[in-house]
Amino acid sequence: MKTAREWKKYFPVFLMLLLAVIPAFVTGNYYRTVCCQAMLYAIVALGLNFIVGLSGLMTLGTAAIYGLGSYVSALFCVKLGWNPWAALIPVLISGWLIGKGLGYPSLRVQGVYLSLATIGFNEIVRNLLTNLEWTGSGTGIRNIPVYEIGGFAFDTQIRSYYLIYAVLLLFIVIAWKIVNSRWGRAFKAVKDNPDALEVCGINIANVKITAFTLSAIFAVVAGAMYAHFNRYITPATYTTDLSISFVVMLIIGGLGNFWGCIYGAYIVAFLPQLLRPIGLTYKLIYAVIIMLLVVFFPNGIFHDIRRYLGLHRVLKKGGEEG
Amino acid sequence: MQGILLQLIVSGIAMGFVYALVAVEYTLIWNACGLLNFSHEKIIMLGGYVFVGTCITALGMSNIMSAILTIILLGIFGALIAVIIFIPLRNQTRLIAVVATVMLGQILNEAAVLVWGPVALMPKNFLSGVFTFMGATVAKSYVYIIIVAVIIIALLELFFKKTKPGKGMTCVSINKTASALMGINVKVSIVITLILSFMICGVLGIITAPIFTVKQQMATMIALKGFCAGVIGGFGSLPAAIAGGLVLGIVENIAGVVLPAVFKDAVAFALMILFMLFSPKGLVGVRDHVRNLQENRKQKKGKVNI
Repeated sequence: MKTAREWKKYFPVFLMLLLAVIPAFVTGNYYRTVCCQAMLYAIVALGLNFIVGLSGLMTLGTAAIYGLGSYVSALFCVKLGWNPWAALIPVLISGWLIGKGLGYPSLRVQGVYLSLATIGFNEIVRNLLTNLEWTGSGTGIRNIPVYEIGGFAFDTQIRSYYLIYAVLLLFIVIAWKIVNSRWGRAFKAVKDNPDALEVCGINIANVKITAFTLSAIFAVVAGAMYAHFNRYITPATYTTDLSISFVVMLIIGGLGNFWGCIYGAYIVAFLPQLLRPIGLTYKLIYAVIIMLLVVFFPNGIFHDIRRYLGLHRVLKKGGEEG
Repeated sequence: MQGILLQLIVSGIAMGFVYALVAVEYTLIWNACGLLNFSHEKIIMLGGYVFVGTCITALGMSNIMSAILTIILLGIFGALIAVIIFIPLRNQTRLIAVVATVMLGQILNEAAVLVWGPVALMPKNFLSGVFTFMGATVAKSYVYIIIVAVIIIALLELFFKKTKPGKGMTCVSINKTASALMGINVKVSIVITLILSFMICGVLGIITAPIFTVKQQMATMIALKGFCAGVIGGFGSLPAAIAGGLVLGIVENIAGVVLPAVFKDAVAFALMILFMLFSPKGLVGVRDHVRNLQENRKQKKGKVNI
């Protein structure tokens, strides 16, 4: 009989197997679309985890980065006729540039000011996307080509699902490697004790900028996937509310909890859809539920439920004895 | 030409005072509990809806009575929110409180649609009409905004300098622990702050109703630009916030004419980011820098003379 701790090792495998078989149970294109959406959110949340979860910086401008990814990819494909895979190169470059660009102000402004400044960034981007002619202004961009491998087009929901699933898998591996690397430990140290970090000879400025760059790259790739999956993008998608949702995913999953990003993303993507049958008041109820979750489970749902039930303490004791 | 310039400057000053009030209101809560109220754009909206939708339209009250009732109601609501959200969350990680206030904003937003409907409301015969002088045509509402803002700022200044709760709040903003030890009730201070701040939001909602009309997004831009004004001025002090607001209001209005209209809203954020990069303390920082330069120059001159 294996102990809970030994089973825990296999948790990631179970989770990914579960995600792989979901389309068999979830029929209907609508819910499959929501599943794809949730996986894209999970990619963004994994990236955001570096800044918000590990480094403890509060950014609320992720939707703008996500949106820039979508727009760069869509514009290169639609206006210049590039292959969607080739368009990933400008997307990655733009992500790197945005990450660097946002990282620098984050050295100047601290705490809540950073969140306001990044909300400002989000609003600028959304404003420009809505008003500029060549981004299609308010109506957005239509007829974006889909990804294709040797004539096999990812054009149906189920095909897109497995494409996004593969990308999610790739990003989970990358993020896992980063979290457990020198970088990941440096990110955690920025939150816990920046002074000690400097004493160790690590440049805090570089660490913060690295966190922003990594997170921006995750977000732009997810954004590009979204553009080619949805095939139609408008600036109305990339609002500050979406940025807030990304942070809510992290909080629901537990700040700094790696696997929490993924189930947080699923909860945030599915909750509004499950509440939709209620009718007019569903958005109100959604906001109330999220607020209560945030106020009463600030360390993540599962963590706090375990704590309220007293399970967490038992586990900790067991750990100490072992 | 002169008329247009005057017109732009008057409306710029009026918007500047609106931004300044928003910045002042941010600063109040920040000083009292170290949190920012991210829902306040929706509270300004609530002020507008209660004023036009409930007091004037549903209850059929006169404009002045409605304004007074709105401000009182929002004050009560502020006390309620202080007890429900701000007092329990004041010791939590700030991110949690930020998200909680954002969600409060969304709740208010959705509730407003359900209660007052999705159609924009417009107060009738309220601060409408224009003044004409020196060839300039200025909407009356802009002039009233300036008057009301000056009155509010003067009252706030009096409250902080002359009354006991006001002095207590100043102490709390400087050092929470020490003021708690001195017998100042920090929780009561937070409640008073929230009441004041929500009342200011109510006033903002009322006076901007004729300009933006009462709708869900009426305050989104002024709320963000109020923060820009705070950063441009230098966060944490009342005069700096006012200076920042005025600078932003005038610059933005003139930029709206010089640059394509698309960039009007982006100017505020661009200005804020410039200030963050080059003078994180805002105009206060610029002033200190200039003073330092002058002093250095004086000292150098002194040395040469000796």
